[in-house]
Amino acid sequence: MAFLEVHNLTKDFGGLRANSNITFSMKRGELIGLIGPNGAGKTTLFNCISGLHPVTSGQIIFDAEEITKLKAHEVAQRGLARTFQVYVAAGDLTVIENVMVGCFMRTHLRSRAKAHASEILKDLSIDDTADYLVSELPVAAQKRVTMATAIASDPKLLLLDEVAAGLNPNEIDEIMASIEHVHEDMGITVMLIEHVMELVMKISHRIIVLDYGEKIAEGDPETISKDPRVIKAYLGERYVREHGGMEESKE
Amino acid sequence: MEAVRNALDFSDFPRLDLIVAGSVGIAFIIFPLFPHSSFAMSTMIQFLMFSLYGMGWNTIGGYGGQVDLGKAQYVGIGAYTTAVMLILWDVPFWVSMPIGMFFSVVWSFIIGYPLFRLKGHYFAIATIATSLVLKDIFEVWDFVGAARGLEISPIKYHPPDFLRLIFKEDVYYFYVILGFFFIGILYMNWFRKSRLGFQLRSIKDNEDVARSLGINVHWAKVKTYAIATAFVSMVGSFHACYIKSIEPEDTMSLDISILIALMAMLGGAGSLWGPIIGAGILIPLKSYLKEWLGAQAGMVGIDLILYALIIMVISAFEPRGVWGIVEKIRRRKRS
Repeated sequence: MAFLEVHNLTKDFGGLRANSNITFSMKRGELIGLIGPNGAGKTTLFNCISGLHPVTSGQIIFDAEEITKLKAHEVAQRGLARTFQVYVAAGDLTVIENVMVGCFMRTHLRSRAKAHASEILKDLSIDDTADYLVSELPVAAQKRVTMATAIASDPKLLLLDEVAAGLNPNEIDEIMASIEHVHEDMGITVMLIEHVMELVMKISHRIIVLDYGEKIAEGDPETISKDPRVIKAYLGERYVREHGGMEESKE
Repeated sequence: MEAVRNALDFSDFPRLDLIVAGSVGIAFIIFPLFPHSSFAMSTMIQFLMFSLYGMGWNTIGGYGGQVDLGKAQYVGIGAYTTAVMLILWDVPFWVSMPIGMFFSVVWSFIIGYPLFRLKGHYFAIATIATSLVLKDIFEVWDFVGAARGLEISPIKYHPPDFLRLIFKEDVYYFYVILGFFFIGILYMNWFRKSRLGFQLRSIKDNEDVARSLGINVHWAKVKTYAIATAFVSMVGSFHACYIKSIEPEDTMSLDISILIALMAMLGGAGSLWGPIIGAGILIPLKSYLKEWLGAQAGMVGIDLILYALIIMVISAFEPRGVWGIVEKIRRRKRS
Protein backbone atom coordinates (compact mmCIF):
# COMPACT_ATOMS: atom_id res chain seq x y z
CA MET A 1 0.00 0.00 0.00
CA ALA A 2 1.21 3.44 -0.88
CA PHE A 3 2.35 5.81 1.86
CA LEU A 4 0.63 8.87 0.43
CA GLU A 5 -2.15 8.58 -2.11
CA VAL A 6 -3.86 11.48 -3.80
CA HIS A 7 -6.91 10.59 -5.89
CA ASN A 8 -8.52 13.01 -8.34
CA LEU A 9 -7.79 16.01 -6.18
CA THR A 10 -9.50 19.17 -7.38
CA LYS A 11 -9.33 22.58 -5.75
CA ASP A 12 -11.34 25.58 -6.93
CA PHE A 13 -10.95 29.14 -5.73
CA GLY A 14 -14.24 30.63 -6.89
CA GLY A 15 -14.14 30.21 -10.64
CA LEU A 16 -10.44 29.43 -10.73
CA ARG A 17 -9.43 25.78 -10.84
CA ALA A 18 -6.06 25.66 -9.08
CA ASN A 19 -5.72 21.89 -8.97
CA SER A 20 -7.56 19.70 -11.42
CA ASN A 21 -7.96 15.96 -11.00
CA ILE A 22 -4.50 15.31 -9.67
CA THR A 23 -3.68 11.71 -8.91
CA PHE A 24 -0.37 10.36 -7.69
CA SER A 25 1.03 8.14 -4.99
CA MET A 26 4.19 7.96 -3.01
CA LYS A 27 6.05 5.12 -1.36
CA ARG A 28 7.54 5.30 2.11
CA GLY A 29 11.13 6.47 1.87
CA GLU A 30 10.75 8.12 -1.50
CA LEU A 31 11.95 11.59 -2.44
CA ILE A 32 9.68 13.26 -4.95
CA GLY A 33 10.18 16.56 -6.71
CA LEU A 34 7.21 18.71 -7.70
CA ILE A 35 7.95 21.19 -10.45
CA GLY A 36 6.07 23.44 -12.81
CA PRO A 37 5.82 27.08 -13.83
CA ASN A 38 4.64 29.79 -11.42
CA GLY A 39 0.93 29.54 -10.79
CA ALA A 40 0.78 25.88 -11.75
CA GLY A 41 -0.78 24.98 -8.42
CA LYS A 42 2.17 23.44 -6.62
CA THR A 43 1.76 25.30 -3.34
CA THR A 44 -2.01 24.86 -3.53
CA LEU A 45 -1.46 21.12 -3.76
CA PHE A 46 0.73 21.29 -0.64
CA ASN A 47 -1.92 23.35 1.13
CA CYS A 48 -4.59 20.78 0.25
CA ILE A 49 -2.50 17.82 1.37
CA SER A 50 -1.53 19.49 4.64
CA GLY A 51 -5.13 20.46 5.34
CA LEU A 52 -4.81 24.25 5.19
CA HIS A 53 -7.23 24.40 2.26
CA PRO A 54 -10.36 22.24 2.16
CA VAL A 55 -10.36 20.32 -1.11
CA THR A 56 -13.22 20.76 -3.58
CA SER A 57 -13.26 17.07 -4.46
CA GLY A 58 -10.97 14.09 -4.35
CA GLN A 59 -9.35 12.01 -1.69
CA ILE A 60 -6.08 12.05 0.23
CA ILE A 61 -4.86 8.96 2.05
CA PHE A 62 -1.82 9.19 4.29
CA ASP A 63 -0.31 6.16 5.99
CA ALA A 64 -3.47 4.06 5.49
CA GLU A 65 -5.78 6.75 6.85
CA GLU A 66 -8.01 9.10 4.94
CA ILE A 67 -7.02 12.68 5.83
CA THR A 68 -9.07 14.54 3.21
CA LYS A 69 -11.44 16.15 5.71
CA LEU A 70 -9.00 16.62 8.58
CA LYS A 71 -7.94 20.06 9.76
CA ALA A 72 -4.36 21.21 9.35
CA HIS A 73 -3.36 20.59 12.96
CA GLU A 74 -4.86 17.10 12.86
CA VAL A 75 -2.95 16.28 9.69
CA ALA A 76 0.23 17.58 11.31
CA GLN A 77 -0.32 15.43 14.39
CA ARG A 78 -0.49 12.36 12.16
CA GLY A 79 3.09 13.00 11.08
CA LEU A 80 2.83 15.20 8.00
CA ALA A 81 4.98 18.31 8.32
CA ARG A 82 5.66 21.11 5.87
CA THR A 83 7.60 24.31 5.39
CA PHE A 84 6.32 27.55 3.93
CA GLN A 85 7.62 29.36 0.90
CA VAL A 86 7.24 32.88 2.20
CA TYR A 87 7.78 32.71 5.88
CA VAL A 88 8.62 35.99 7.51
CA ALA A 89 9.01 35.38 11.19
CA ALA A 90 8.11 38.81 12.46
CA GLY A 91 7.50 37.65 15.98
CA ASP A 92 9.73 37.60 18.99
CA LEU A 93 10.62 33.92 18.89
CA THR A 94 14.31 33.09 18.73
CA VAL A 95 15.58 30.30 16.52
CA ILE A 96 15.59 27.68 19.23
CA GLU A 97 12.17 28.79 20.47
CA ASN A 98 10.81 28.39 16.96
CA VAL A 99 12.11 24.85 16.78
CA MET A 100 10.75 24.17 20.27
CA VAL A 101 7.23 24.97 19.05
CA GLY A 102 7.62 22.02 16.68
CA CYS A 103 8.96 19.83 19.49
CA PHE A 104 6.00 20.73 21.71
CA MET A 105 3.76 18.75 19.36
CA ARG A 106 5.17 15.54 20.81
CA THR A 107 5.87 16.53 24.40
CA HIS A 108 4.44 18.72 27.16
CA LEU A 109 7.77 19.08 28.93
CA ARG A 110 9.82 22.17 28.24
CA SER A 111 13.08 20.46 29.19
CA ARG A 112 12.49 17.68 26.69
CA ALA A 113 11.42 20.12 23.96
CA LYS A 114 14.53 22.21 24.53
CA ALA A 115 16.88 19.23 24.46
CA HIS A 116 15.31 17.92 21.27
CA ALA A 117 15.44 21.36 19.65
CA SER A 118 19.16 21.78 20.40
CA GLU A 119 19.80 18.36 18.92
CA ILE A 120 18.04 19.29 15.69
CA LEU A 121 19.84 22.63 15.44
CA LYS A 122 23.14 20.83 15.81
CA ASP A 123 22.07 18.28 13.25
CA LEU A 124 21.36 20.96 10.67
CA SER A 125 24.49 22.86 11.78
CA ILE A 126 22.68 26.04 12.80
CA ASP A 127 23.24 25.69 16.53
CA ASP A 128 25.34 28.85 16.56
CA THR A 129 22.24 30.89 15.67
CA ALA A 130 20.08 29.46 18.48
CA ASP A 131 19.53 32.72 20.39
CA TYR A 132 18.99 35.04 17.45
CA LEU A 133 15.61 36.17 16.20
CA VAL A 134 14.75 34.46 12.93
CA SER A 135 14.39 37.86 11.24
CA GLU A 136 18.00 38.68 12.12
CA LEU A 137 19.37 35.77 10.08
CA PRO A 138 20.37 35.63 6.41
CA VAL A 139 17.96 33.87 4.04
CA ALA A 140 19.89 30.60 3.91
CA ALA A 141 19.80 30.23 7.67
CA GLN A 142 16.11 31.19 7.80
CA LYS A 143 15.33 28.39 5.37
CA ARG A 144 17.15 25.96 7.60
CA VAL A 145 15.20 27.17 10.61
CA THR A 146 11.91 26.47 8.82
CA MET A 147 13.21 23.01 7.99
CA ALA A 148 14.38 22.43 11.53
CA THR A 149 11.00 23.55 12.92
CA ALA A 150 9.16 21.14 10.63
CA ILE A 151 11.46 18.23 11.48
CA ALA A 152 11.10 18.96 15.18
CA SER A 153 7.59 17.54 15.17
CA ASP A 154 9.06 14.18 14.24
CA PRO A 155 7.19 13.77 10.94
CA LYS A 156 6.93 10.74 8.69
CA LEU A 157 6.44 12.87 5.59
CA LEU A 158 7.95 16.29 5.00
CA LEU A 159 6.71 18.71 2.34
CA LEU A 160 9.36 21.30 1.48
CA ASP A 161 8.18 24.40 -0.35
CA GLU A 162 11.07 26.07 -2.19
CA VAL A 163 13.73 25.80 0.48
CA ALA A 164 16.45 26.61 -2.06
CA ALA A 165 14.86 29.73 -3.53
CA GLY A 166 17.05 32.81 -3.28
CA LEU A 167 20.17 30.92 -2.27
CA ASN A 168 23.61 31.10 -3.93
CA PRO A 169 25.21 27.95 -5.43
CA ASN A 170 27.19 27.21 -2.28
CA GLU A 171 24.14 27.52 -0.09
CA ILE A 172 22.19 25.33 -2.50
CA ASP A 173 24.78 22.59 -2.09
CA GLU A 174 24.50 22.93 1.69
CA ILE A 175 20.73 22.78 1.78
CA MET A 176 20.81 19.84 -0.63
CA ALA A 177 23.07 18.01 1.80
CA SER A 178 20.64 18.85 4.59
CA ILE A 179 17.69 17.51 2.63
CA GLU A 180 19.57 14.30 1.90
CA HIS A 181 20.51 14.03 5.56
CA VAL A 182 16.86 14.42 6.60
CA HIS A 183 15.77 11.92 3.99
CA GLU A 184 18.40 9.25 4.39
CA ASP A 185 19.69 9.49 7.94
CA MET A 186 16.44 10.47 9.63
CA GLY A 187 14.35 8.27 7.37
CA ILE A 188 11.77 10.93 6.54
CA THR A 189 9.91 10.67 3.24
CA VAL A 190 10.25 13.97 1.37
CA MET A 191 8.30 15.79 -1.29
CA LEU A 192 9.71 19.08 -2.48
CA ILE A 193 8.65 21.98 -4.63
CA GLU A 194 11.67 23.54 -6.23
CA HIS A 195 12.67 25.76 -9.11
CA VAL A 196 16.37 25.05 -8.76
CA MET A 197 16.68 22.28 -11.33
CA GLU A 198 20.20 21.23 -10.35
CA LEU A 199 18.81 20.31 -6.97
CA VAL A 200 15.58 18.62 -8.05
CA MET A 201 17.12 16.61 -10.86
CA LYS A 202 19.94 15.45 -8.65
CA ILE A 203 18.17 14.24 -5.56
CA SER A 204 14.63 13.30 -6.65
CA HIS A 205 13.76 9.67 -7.21
CA ARG A 206 10.74 10.75 -9.16
CA ILE A 207 9.40 14.04 -10.45
CA ILE A 208 5.82 15.22 -10.89
CA VAL A 209 5.17 18.14 -13.21
CA LEU A 210 2.18 20.46 -12.89
CA ASP A 211 0.98 22.98 -15.42
CA TYR A 212 -2.23 25.04 -15.15
CA GLY A 213 -3.31 22.91 -12.22
CA GLU A 214 -2.96 19.62 -14.04
CA LYS A 215 -0.40 16.87 -13.77
CA ILE A 216 1.24 16.79 -17.18
CA ALA A 217 4.04 14.33 -16.50
CA GLU A 218 5.49 11.99 -13.90
CA GLY A 219 8.65 9.91 -14.01
CA ASP A 220 12.31 9.69 -13.10
CA PRO A 221 14.43 12.84 -13.58
CA GLU A 222 15.91 11.66 -16.85
CA THR A 223 12.58 10.88 -18.49
CA ILE A 224 11.15 14.17 -17.27
CA SER A 225 14.01 16.22 -18.65
CA LYS A 226 13.36 14.70 -22.08
CA ASP A 227 9.57 14.90 -22.02
CA PRO A 228 8.55 17.31 -24.80
CA ARG A 229 5.50 18.58 -22.89
CA VAL A 230 7.60 19.40 -19.82
CA ILE A 231 10.17 21.14 -21.98
CA LYS A 232 7.49 23.20 -23.63
CA ALA A 233 5.65 24.09 -20.42
CA TYR A 234 8.51 24.60 -18.03
CA LEU A 235 12.10 23.61 -18.66
CA GLY A 236 12.50 25.44 -21.97
CA GLU A 237 14.69 24.58 -24.93
CA ARG A 238 17.72 26.25 -23.42
CA TYR A 239 17.82 24.09 -20.32
CA VAL A 240 17.66 20.95 -22.43
CA ARG A 241 20.36 22.19 -24.80
CA GLU A 242 22.75 23.07 -21.98
CA HIS A 243 22.17 20.03 -19.85
CA GLY A 244 21.77 17.60 -22.74
CA GLY A 245 25.05 18.92 -24.12
CA MET A 246 26.83 18.31 -20.85
CA GLU A 247 25.78 14.73 -20.77
CA GLU A 248 27.00 14.17 -24.30
CA SER A 249 30.40 15.69 -23.61
CA LYS A 250 30.76 13.41 -20.59
CA GLU A 251 30.30 10.40 -22.78
CA MET B 1 7.03 18.99 39.11
CA GLU B 2 8.66 20.57 36.11
CA ALA B 3 5.90 23.17 36.04
CA VAL B 4 6.78 24.27 39.58
CA ARG B 5 10.46 24.35 38.73
CA ASN B 6 9.76 26.46 35.64
CA ALA B 7 7.61 28.88 37.64
CA LEU B 8 10.39 29.43 40.17
CA ASP B 9 13.19 29.60 37.62
CA PHE B 10 14.03 33.13 36.51
CA SER B 11 17.56 32.28 35.42
CA ASP B 12 17.05 33.23 31.77
CA PHE B 13 16.76 36.90 32.73
CA PRO B 14 19.88 39.07 32.87
CA ARG B 15 21.19 39.62 36.37
CA LEU B 16 20.31 43.32 36.23
CA ASP B 17 16.61 42.45 35.78
CA LEU B 18 16.65 40.15 38.75
CA ILE B 19 18.37 42.69 40.98
CA VAL B 20 15.88 45.40 40.01
CA ALA B 21 12.89 43.07 40.31
CA GLY B 22 14.12 41.74 43.66
CA SER B 23 14.67 45.22 45.10
CA VAL B 24 11.30 46.45 43.91
CA GLY B 25 9.66 43.35 45.38
CA ILE B 26 11.32 43.93 48.75
CA ALA B 27 10.41 47.62 48.60
CA PHE B 28 6.76 46.61 48.14
CA ILE B 29 6.90 44.27 51.12
CA ILE B 30 8.33 46.88 53.49
CA PHE B 31 6.47 49.86 52.01
CA PRO B 32 3.71 49.92 54.71
CA LEU B 33 6.36 50.15 57.48
CA PHE B 34 7.29 53.63 56.34
CA PRO B 35 5.11 56.68 56.86
CA HIS B 36 2.77 57.09 53.93
CA SER B 37 -0.43 58.89 53.06
CA SER B 38 -3.65 56.96 52.58
CA PHE B 39 -3.60 58.30 49.03
CA ALA B 40 -0.24 56.62 48.37
CA MET B 41 -1.54 53.39 49.90
CA SER B 42 -4.65 53.30 47.75
CA THR B 43 -2.56 54.08 44.67
CA MET B 44 -0.30 51.16 45.54
CA ILE B 45 -3.27 48.82 45.87
CA GLN B 46 -4.68 50.05 42.57
CA PHE B 47 -1.28 49.53 40.98
CA LEU B 48 -1.08 45.92 42.19
CA MET B 49 -4.65 45.21 41.06
CA PHE B 50 -4.06 46.62 37.62
CA SER B 51 -0.75 44.76 37.32
CA LEU B 52 -2.69 41.57 37.83
CA TYR B 53 -5.37 42.58 35.34
CA GLY B 54 -2.57 43.35 32.91
CA MET B 55 -0.88 39.98 33.50
CA GLY B 56 -4.14 38.27 32.69
CA TRP B 57 -4.60 40.36 29.57
CA ASN B 58 -1.01 39.67 28.59
CA THR B 59 -1.62 35.93 28.15
CA ILE B 60 -4.09 36.30 25.30
CA GLY B 61 -3.35 39.87 24.24
CA GLY B 62 0.43 39.92 24.61
CA TYR B 63 1.70 36.41 23.99
CA GLY B 64 -1.24 35.52 21.73
CA GLY B 65 -1.54 38.86 19.96
CA GLN B 66 -5.35 38.91 20.22
CA VAL B 67 -6.27 42.45 21.21
CA ASP B 68 -8.98 42.00 23.80
CA LEU B 69 -10.82 45.15 24.85
CA GLY B 70 -13.52 43.50 26.94
CA LYS B 71 -11.82 42.53 30.16
CA ALA B 72 -14.12 44.71 32.29
CA GLN B 73 -16.97 42.21 31.96
CA TYR B 74 -14.91 39.71 33.96
CA VAL B 75 -14.02 42.29 36.59
CA GLY B 76 -17.79 42.64 36.90
CA ILE B 77 -18.56 38.93 37.07
CA GLY B 78 -15.93 38.42 39.77
CA ALA B 79 -16.94 41.48 41.78
CA TYR B 80 -20.67 40.76 41.61
CA THR B 81 -20.31 37.08 42.45
CA THR B 82 -18.36 37.91 45.58
CA ALA B 83 -20.62 40.80 46.60
CA VAL B 84 -23.90 38.97 46.03
CA MET B 85 -22.73 35.84 47.82
CA LEU B 86 -21.40 37.80 50.76
CA ILE B 87 -24.47 40.03 51.16
CA LEU B 88 -27.14 37.39 50.64
CA TRP B 89 -25.59 34.22 52.02
CA ASP B 90 -22.55 35.42 53.97
CA VAL B 91 -20.22 33.34 51.81
CA PRO B 92 -16.53 34.09 52.57
CA PHE B 93 -14.30 35.64 49.93
CA TRP B 94 -12.09 32.57 49.64
CA VAL B 95 -15.12 30.53 48.55
CA SER B 96 -16.84 33.12 46.37
CA MET B 97 -13.64 34.07 44.54
CA PRO B 98 -13.16 30.63 42.92
CA ILE B 99 -16.90 30.47 42.21
CA GLY B 100 -16.65 33.86 40.48
CA MET B 101 -13.68 32.56 38.50
CA PHE B 102 -15.75 29.56 37.50
CA PHE B 103 -18.63 31.76 36.28
CA SER B 104 -16.19 33.96 34.40
CA VAL B 105 -14.52 31.01 32.72
CA VAL B 106 -17.89 29.56 31.69
CA TRP B 107 -18.91 32.94 30.26
CA SER B 108 -15.53 33.23 28.53
CA PHE B 109 -16.12 29.90 26.78
CA ILE B 110 -19.62 30.95 25.73
CA ILE B 111 -18.44 34.15 24.08
CA GLY B 112 -14.87 33.09 23.30
CA TYR B 113 -15.87 30.12 21.19
CA PRO B 114 -17.69 32.19 18.53
CA LEU B 115 -15.58 35.33 18.99
CA PHE B 116 -12.30 33.68 18.11
CA ARG B 117 -13.65 32.95 14.65
CA LEU B 118 -13.03 36.67 14.16
CA LYS B 119 -9.61 38.16 13.59
CA GLY B 120 -7.80 41.40 14.32
CA HIS B 121 -9.94 44.51 14.68
CA TYR B 122 -13.16 42.54 14.32
CA PHE B 123 -12.23 40.51 17.35
CA ALA B 124 -11.32 43.63 19.34
CA ILE B 125 -14.64 45.30 18.52
CA ALA B 126 -16.62 42.17 19.34
CA THR B 127 -14.99 41.96 22.79
CA ILE B 128 -15.99 45.57 23.48
CA ALA B 129 -19.54 44.79 22.41
CA THR B 130 -19.98 41.73 24.64
CA SER B 131 -18.59 43.63 27.59
CA LEU B 132 -20.98 46.54 27.07
CA VAL B 133 -23.96 44.23 26.62
CA LEU B 134 -23.17 42.46 29.88
CA LYS B 135 -22.86 45.82 31.60
CA ASP B 136 -26.28 46.84 30.27
CA ILE B 137 -27.79 43.62 31.54
CA PHE B 138 -26.38 44.25 35.00
CA GLU B 139 -27.75 47.78 34.92
CA VAL B 140 -31.32 46.54 34.68
CA TRP B 141 -30.99 43.32 36.68
CA ASP B 142 -32.72 43.90 40.00
CA PHE B 143 -31.22 40.86 41.70
CA VAL B 144 -27.79 42.54 41.58
CA GLY B 145 -29.10 45.98 42.45
CA ALA B 146 -29.47 47.17 38.86
CA ALA B 147 -27.84 50.56 38.20
CA ARG B 148 -27.64 51.37 41.93
CA GLY B 149 -25.26 48.48 42.43
CA LEU B 150 -24.45 46.69 45.65
CA GLU B 151 -23.13 47.90 48.96
CA ILE B 152 -21.15 45.78 51.39
CA SER B 153 -21.62 47.44 54.75
CA PRO B 154 -18.63 46.83 57.00
CA ILE B 155 -20.55 47.41 60.24
CA LYS B 156 -22.17 43.98 59.96
CA TYR B 157 -18.75 42.35 60.27
CA HIS B 158 -15.90 42.46 62.73
CA PRO B 159 -12.79 43.67 60.96
CA PRO B 160 -10.18 42.44 60.50
CA ASP B 161 -12.17 39.60 59.00
CA PHE B 162 -9.72 37.50 57.02
CA LEU B 163 -12.35 35.07 55.78
CA ARG B 164 -14.61 37.67 54.24
CA LEU B 165 -11.78 40.08 53.50
CA ILE B 166 -13.36 42.94 55.40
CA PHE B 167 -10.76 45.26 56.88
CA LYS B 168 -10.73 48.76 58.31
CA GLU B 169 -7.13 49.52 57.40
CA ASP B 170 -5.92 49.43 53.83
CA VAL B 171 -2.68 47.77 54.83
CA TYR B 172 -4.44 44.39 55.14
CA TYR B 173 -5.78 44.72 51.60
CA PHE B 174 -2.32 45.71 50.47
CA TYR B 175 -0.73 42.51 51.73
CA VAL B 176 -3.51 40.30 50.35
CA ILE B 177 -3.21 41.78 46.87
CA LEU B 178 0.59 41.75 47.12
CA GLY B 179 0.37 38.00 47.77
CA PHE B 180 -1.79 37.60 44.66
CA PHE B 181 0.71 39.76 42.78
CA PHE B 182 3.65 37.48 43.60
CA ILE B 183 1.64 34.37 42.77
CA GLY B 184 0.60 36.04 39.52
CA ILE B 185 4.23 36.64 38.57
CA LEU B 186 5.11 33.01 39.28
CA TYR B 187 2.15 31.85 37.23
CA MET B 188 3.11 34.08 34.31
CA ASN B 189 6.69 32.90 34.56
CA TRP B 190 5.41 29.36 34.17
CA PHE B 191 2.99 30.35 31.42
CA ARG B 192 5.54 32.00 29.17
CA LYS B 193 7.63 28.82 29.22
CA SER B 194 4.74 26.39 28.94
CA ARG B 195 3.63 24.51 25.86
CA LEU B 196 0.57 26.75 25.62
CA GLY B 197 2.73 29.86 25.90
CA PHE B 198 4.92 28.72 23.03
CA GLN B 199 1.90 27.78 20.95
CA LEU B 200 0.41 31.23 21.42
CA ARG B 201 3.60 32.99 20.41
CA SER B 202 3.67 30.82 17.31
CA ILE B 203 0.03 31.74 16.60
CA LYS B 204 0.85 35.43 16.97
CA ASP B 205 3.69 34.98 14.52
CA ASN B 206 1.80 33.11 11.78
CA GLU B 207 -1.40 31.11 12.20
CA ASP B 208 -0.87 28.85 9.20
CA VAL B 209 2.59 27.89 10.38
CA ALA B 210 1.16 27.24 13.83
CA ARG B 211 -1.50 24.95 12.35
CA SER B 212 1.08 23.03 10.36
CA LEU B 213 2.92 22.41 13.63
CA GLY B 214 -0.07 20.59 15.03
CA ILE B 215 -1.51 23.49 17.03
CA ASN B 216 -5.28 23.71 17.29
CA VAL B 217 -5.28 27.49 16.90
CA HIS B 218 -8.90 28.13 17.83
CA TRP B 219 -8.83 25.95 20.92
CA ALA B 220 -5.50 27.39 22.08
CA LYS B 221 -6.99 30.88 21.91
CA VAL B 222 -10.19 29.90 23.72
CA LYS B 223 -8.21 28.17 26.47
CA THR B 224 -5.89 31.12 26.96
CA TYR B 225 -8.79 33.54 26.97
CA ALA B 226 -10.21 31.52 29.86
CA ILE B 227 -6.92 31.81 31.75
CA ALA B 228 -6.86 35.58 31.22
CA THR B 229 -10.44 35.71 32.41
CA ALA B 230 -9.73 33.78 35.59
CA PHE B 231 -6.99 36.27 36.50
CA VAL B 232 -9.24 39.26 35.96
CA SER B 233 -12.18 37.72 37.79
CA MET B 234 -10.01 36.94 40.81
CA VAL B 235 -8.97 40.56 41.14
CA GLY B 236 -12.58 41.61 40.47
CA SER B 237 -13.63 39.65 43.55
CA PHE B 238 -10.95 41.41 45.55
CA HIS B 239 -12.16 44.73 44.17
CA ALA B 240 -15.64 44.10 45.60
CA CYS B 241 -14.30 43.55 49.13
CA TYR B 242 -11.86 46.41 48.90
CA ILE B 243 -14.13 49.09 47.41
CA LYS B 244 -17.26 47.68 49.13
CA SER B 245 -19.56 49.51 46.76
CA ILE B 246 -19.88 48.25 43.22
CA GLU B 247 -22.04 49.37 40.37
CA PRO B 248 -21.95 48.47 36.67
CA GLU B 249 -20.77 51.92 35.69
CA ASP B 250 -17.45 51.72 37.49
CA THR B 251 -16.64 48.01 37.58
CA MET B 252 -17.59 47.15 34.01
CA SER B 253 -17.06 50.33 32.04
CA LEU B 254 -15.18 50.52 28.77
CA ASP B 255 -12.56 52.71 30.50
CA ILE B 256 -11.40 49.77 32.57
CA SER B 257 -11.18 47.43 29.60
CA ILE B 258 -9.13 49.94 27.67
CA LEU B 259 -6.93 50.83 30.62
CA ILE B 260 -6.09 47.14 31.17
CA ALA B 261 -5.06 46.61 27.55
CA LEU B 262 -3.29 49.94 27.32
CA MET B 263 -1.16 49.32 30.39
CA ALA B 264 0.08 46.00 29.14
CA MET B 265 0.83 47.48 25.73
CA LEU B 266 2.59 50.51 27.17
CA GLY B 267 4.79 48.37 29.42
CA GLY B 268 5.40 45.73 26.78
CA ALA B 269 2.88 43.19 25.56
CA GLY B 270 4.21 39.66 25.50
CA SER B 271 6.83 40.12 28.19
CA LEU B 272 6.80 39.14 31.83
CA TRP B 273 7.54 42.61 33.24
CA GLY B 274 5.53 44.58 30.69
CA PRO B 275 2.15 44.78 32.43
CA ILE B 276 3.82 45.66 35.75
CA ILE B 277 5.85 48.45 34.17
CA GLY B 278 2.75 49.71 32.37
CA ALA B 279 0.68 49.73 35.54
CA GLY B 280 3.57 51.36 37.38
CA ILE B 281 3.50 54.25 34.92
CA LEU B 282 -0.21 54.66 34.25
CA ILE B 283 -1.86 54.08 37.62
CA PRO B 284 0.09 56.72 39.60
CA LEU B 285 -0.27 59.10 36.65
CA LYS B 286 -4.00 58.51 36.56
CA SER B 287 -4.42 58.90 40.33
CA TYR B 288 -2.38 62.10 40.51
CA LEU B 289 -4.07 63.58 37.47
CA LYS B 290 -7.42 62.92 39.05
CA GLU B 291 -6.25 64.40 42.34
CA TRP B 292 -4.73 67.54 40.85
CA LEU B 293 -6.81 68.30 37.81
CA GLY B 294 -9.92 66.18 38.02
CA ALA B 295 -11.77 68.53 40.33
CA GLN B 296 -11.31 71.56 38.11
CA ALA B 297 -14.04 72.24 35.65
CA GLY B 298 -13.43 71.07 32.13
CA MET B 299 -10.59 68.79 33.15
CA VAL B 300 -12.66 65.65 33.69
CA GLY B 301 -11.60 63.95 30.48
CA ILE B 302 -7.90 64.69 30.80
CA ASP B 303 -6.98 61.06 31.51
CA LEU B 304 -8.77 59.96 28.33
CA ILE B 305 -6.75 62.43 26.28
CA LEU B 306 -3.67 61.01 27.89
CA TYR B 307 -4.62 57.45 26.93
CA ALA B 308 -5.17 58.53 23.35
CA LEU B 309 -1.74 60.14 23.28
CA ILE B 310 -0.13 56.99 24.65
CA ILE B 311 -1.85 54.82 22.05
CA MET B 312 -0.52 57.06 19.30
CA VAL B 313 3.00 57.11 20.68
CA ILE B 314 3.13 53.32 21.13
CA SER B 315 1.83 52.55 17.67
CA ALA B 316 4.09 55.10 16.02
CA PHE B 317 7.37 54.36 17.77
CA GLU B 318 7.54 51.06 19.54
CA PRO B 319 4.69 48.55 19.30
CA ARG B 320 6.33 46.47 21.98
CA GLY B 321 6.23 49.24 24.56
CA VAL B 322 8.77 50.23 27.18
CA TRP B 323 10.10 46.70 27.46
CA GLY B 324 10.50 46.57 23.69
CA ILE B 325 12.83 49.58 23.91
CA VAL B 326 14.86 47.92 26.67
CA GLU B 327 15.24 44.75 24.60
CA LYS B 328 16.16 46.69 21.49
CA ILE B 329 18.98 48.44 23.34
CA ARG B 330 20.20 45.15 24.74
CA ARG B 331 20.22 43.52 21.33
CA ARG B 332 22.14 46.40 19.85
CA LYS B 333 24.73 46.18 22.62
CA ARG B 334 25.24 42.48 22.04
CA SER B 335 25.79 42.64 18.32
